Amino acid sequence: MKDSLYLAWRYLAYHRIKTAILITSITLIVFLPVGLRVLVNQSADQLTARAEATPLLVGAKGSPLELVLNSLYFESDIPETMRYAEAIRLDTMGLAQPIPLYVRFTARGYPIVGTTLEYFAFRGLEVASGTSLTMLGDCVLGARVAEQLGVEAGGTVVSSPESVFDIAGVYPLKMSVAGVLAFSDSPDDHAIFVDVKTAWVIEGLVHGHVDLSQAGATTGVLRRDSSVITANASVVQFQEITTDNIDSFHFHGNLSTYPITAIIAVPPDQRSEAILRGRYESPDELSQIVVPVSVMDELLDTILTVQTFVIAAVVVVGLSTLATAILVFLLSLRLRRREIETMVKIGGSRGSIAWVMTSEIVAVLLMGVLLATALTLLTSQFGSSAIRTLIF
Amino acid sequence: MIERQRAWSRGSCLVTVAGLGALLACGGGEPRERPAVSERGTPVVYTVNYPLQYFAQRIAGDVVQVVFPAPDDEDPAFWQPEADVVAQYQAADLILLNGAGYAKWTSRVSLPAAKLVNTSAALEDALLRVEGTVTHAHGPGGEHAHEGIAFTTWLDPTQAIRQAAAIREAFAAAWPEHAATFEQGFAGLEADLTALDEQLAVAVAPSSARPMLASHPVYQYLERRFGLSVQSVQWEPAEHPSGGMWRDFRRLLSEHPARWMLWEAEPLAETAARLRELSVEPIVFDQCGDVPAEGDYLSVMRSNAERVARAYGRGES
Amino acid sequence: MITVEALEFRYAEGDFFLKIPTLQIDRGETVAFIGPSGSGKTTLLNLIAGIALPRAGRIATGDVELTSLDDGSRRNFRIRNIGLVFQEFELLEYLSVLDNILLPYRINPSMRLDGAVRERARRLAAGVDIGDKVDRYATKLSQGEKQRVAVCRALLPQPRLLLADEPTGNLDPNNKGRVLDILFDYASRTGATLITVTHDHDLIDRYGRVVDFREFHA
Repeated sequence: MKDSLYLAWRYLAYHRIKTAILITSITLIVFLPVGLRVLVNQSADQLTARAEATPLLVGAKGSPLELVLNSLYFESDIPETMRYAEAIRLDTMGLAQPIPLYVRFTARGYPIVGTTLEYFAFRGLEVASGTSLTMLGDCVLGARVAEQLGVEAGGTVVSSPESVFDIAGVYPLKMSVAGVLAFSDSPDDHAIFVDVKTAWVIEGLVHGHVDLSQAGATTGVLRRDSSVITANASVVQFQEITTDNIDSFHFHGNLSTYPITAIIAVPPDQRSEAILRGRYESPDELSQIVVPVSVMDELLDTILTVQTFVIAAVVVVGLSTLATAILVFLLSLRLRRREIETMVKIGGSRGSIAWVMTSEIVAVLLMGVLLATALTLLTSQFGSSAIRTLIF
Repeated sequence: MIERQRAWSRGSCLVTVAGLGALLACGGGEPRERPAVSERGTPVVYTVNYPLQYFAQRIAGDVVQVVFPAPDDEDPAFWQPEADVVAQYQAADLILLNGAGYAKWTSRVSLPAAKLVNTSAALEDALLRVEGTVTHAHGPGGEHAHEGIAFTTWLDPTQAIRQAAAIREAFAAAWPEHAATFEQGFAGLEADLTALDEQLAVAVAPSSARPMLASHPVYQYLERRFGLSVQSVQWEPAEHPSGGMWRDFRRLLSEHPARWMLWEAEPLAETAARLRELSVEPIVFDQCGDVPAEGDYLSVMRSNAERVARAYGRGES
Repeated sequence: MITVEALEFRYAEGDFFLKIPTLQIDRGETVAFIGPSGSGKTTLLNLIAGIALPRAGRIATGDVELTSLDDGSRRNFRIRNIGLVFQEFELLEYLSVLDNILLPYRINPSMRLDGAVRERARRLAAGVDIGDKVDRYATKLSQGEKQRVAVCRALLPQPRLLLADEPTGNLDPNNKGRVLDILFDYASRTGATLITVTHDHDLIDRYGRVVDFREFHA
């Protein structure tokens, strides 16, 4: 037995390339369907967990999926915006705690999530270093963002213009990093959080400039009537909010007309939830209320259907690969007929010779399966975050 | 967390996401006090001006610790607290806002919406616009106006009572076990403010319709409540008005023949003397937005009323 | 002593037929099987080794009747008592020289591979001048060296009977003599019987006896 194993090992080691190819094939045959399944299930669990942790989502009428993906995972296209008035209205109803979200801008490839302090408490996000959002222009980085950008509390992050040609509209804002969140293993790790008002600053709705009514402010002033002072575009648009200029930041018009992309509604009980959902049923309603978990379930159903097909295909490919592997083995047995004959002639026992051959197959299969298991474990450990980056 | 949920679930319009008002502000400075926030048991409430602190403390008695952290040398209306003070506000159990665009800084920081109480929310429709608005056009917003709202709402004692009522409601919702205490505290305060209202009414009674002047446009609600006719300039009590300012003043006086001028603080003696030469009697009427050097909100307001009564008496004689 | 009596053999296919009325080879004899191709030399070697079984007749080695043993017993008998050397060496490419020599001890559980055996294998290798090459793959050696490895493999179990099927057929004259020297030396030292199938007629006078297979077809 031990000697048979030794001979098998010597054979596999000598034909290491052939062995490696066989092991790789077996690994893939086992890993592809199993790993894919683990990955999809895990991603599905994560997506669902996030959706389950978000009771209700209010947004402008449109694609519920887009609304959910944007609001929960900060991915997909920007949904239709709605007015901040909707958040005030929701608060006035007293049926749920509203947490506004304005997920539209990005900074160095990461989504900027405009929200309120309630968001952190709602998601259970802890500040690992620095402080939470305090002043206008502050931002708090998700753990992964801080890690990737190498920025710590006290540093700065500049928002990206919406397009290269966006000259008159969105000015990049240099945001100061108030703090960095602890890892939460959620999309929050990959986001930059700002006060919704700071998001409006990025959009140019809230801005700061020198006081035009002051005598010194003559450069940018085109015309000065009794009460209307017309200023040209050279009026300094601050690109950074500092203690020196924060006083000059002001809101244009009525806050309730400012845009947001969604509101997370947190009802205190099921009754409030039912009433609230009823309120949004009206056909005249401009907003929609969605239950994220239902939306995600629908998406996941689709993904699971696709997954079944993919796995079926993978299994078919796997079986044919397995057939090829068996063929390779049988062929190699033919090639080794003389070797077997020699062993028989010398006086090798039937059992020992059979064991040598069996050990080789078993060893290849075993190593393939072990590798596949290791890969599957790795996948379950690290795959889900990777797939989230890949899927969205 | 529990505290937070309880705070918002009272769900009235008192809790307003629109703690984000609209006005201007400025300044910095060292905060006066930095108490340890919310040792469990004694809730801590932060306010944006002294009147609210006074009202809240009268209503809450010992049940709640009420903090107004603005430094002495700052006008709380135009104060901009530093980040560490903002953090204290964030950590408070409730934050009392004056509303009406007062303390513009609150819209330039992140405050927990569920803890915000806009005490003048019920007065929304009664708020007055400020004249002298600057309109300008730049950026994607097109032409826009920096118009303001008169924010010294408490100068009308009846409005002050409604703000105090809002505080009582917010407190009762947050700490229902102390509702009776709040009710009792509010009743006392309401009585005092009603008396003040009467005292002021009596003080201006002799010539309420007569034209008056003010060193700053901050007396709108007083004017409306007591049927005064006030025109304002922009004079600082501690500064000498320039020649041009006096010229404008005389022009104003010819159109608006006032015999009294309200000052938020004692004007320079020279200014006062020159005013008297023009037959204008300066009256110090402290808005009491910040903590007074002596006495409390009520004593300051009573003194204001007494000074008005005295001046009116002198003016009549 | 090897006794062959009334032996008849034919393959399942083809018209080859071998018939040997009687043949006796004494212990310690050195015998050369000669004759034309297809005359049955290798077949008889296989029959003596118990690799093939006759249709009729008996074959005995000493007092062991090979024809009456089952397959397993014949293998066990063979691996302990018979050393086989082939014309094509039949070394395993994936084993080192030493592992090739030790092969009989690895493919039959009745053999025990221990330190003494390993030591003997090394000595054998050193004795035929490949002691410094025991860790190399056998395929890396020259033809002469390969056959010496094959001879060592055959000698390691210390057989009483050596069967060599044209052991020098693929070697140059130099190596031919060398390999035969080793075989003859072993036979004379241990008193083992040596039977060699050969076509090298210039070397047959080294053998004590020559069996010409033409006589079985006369």
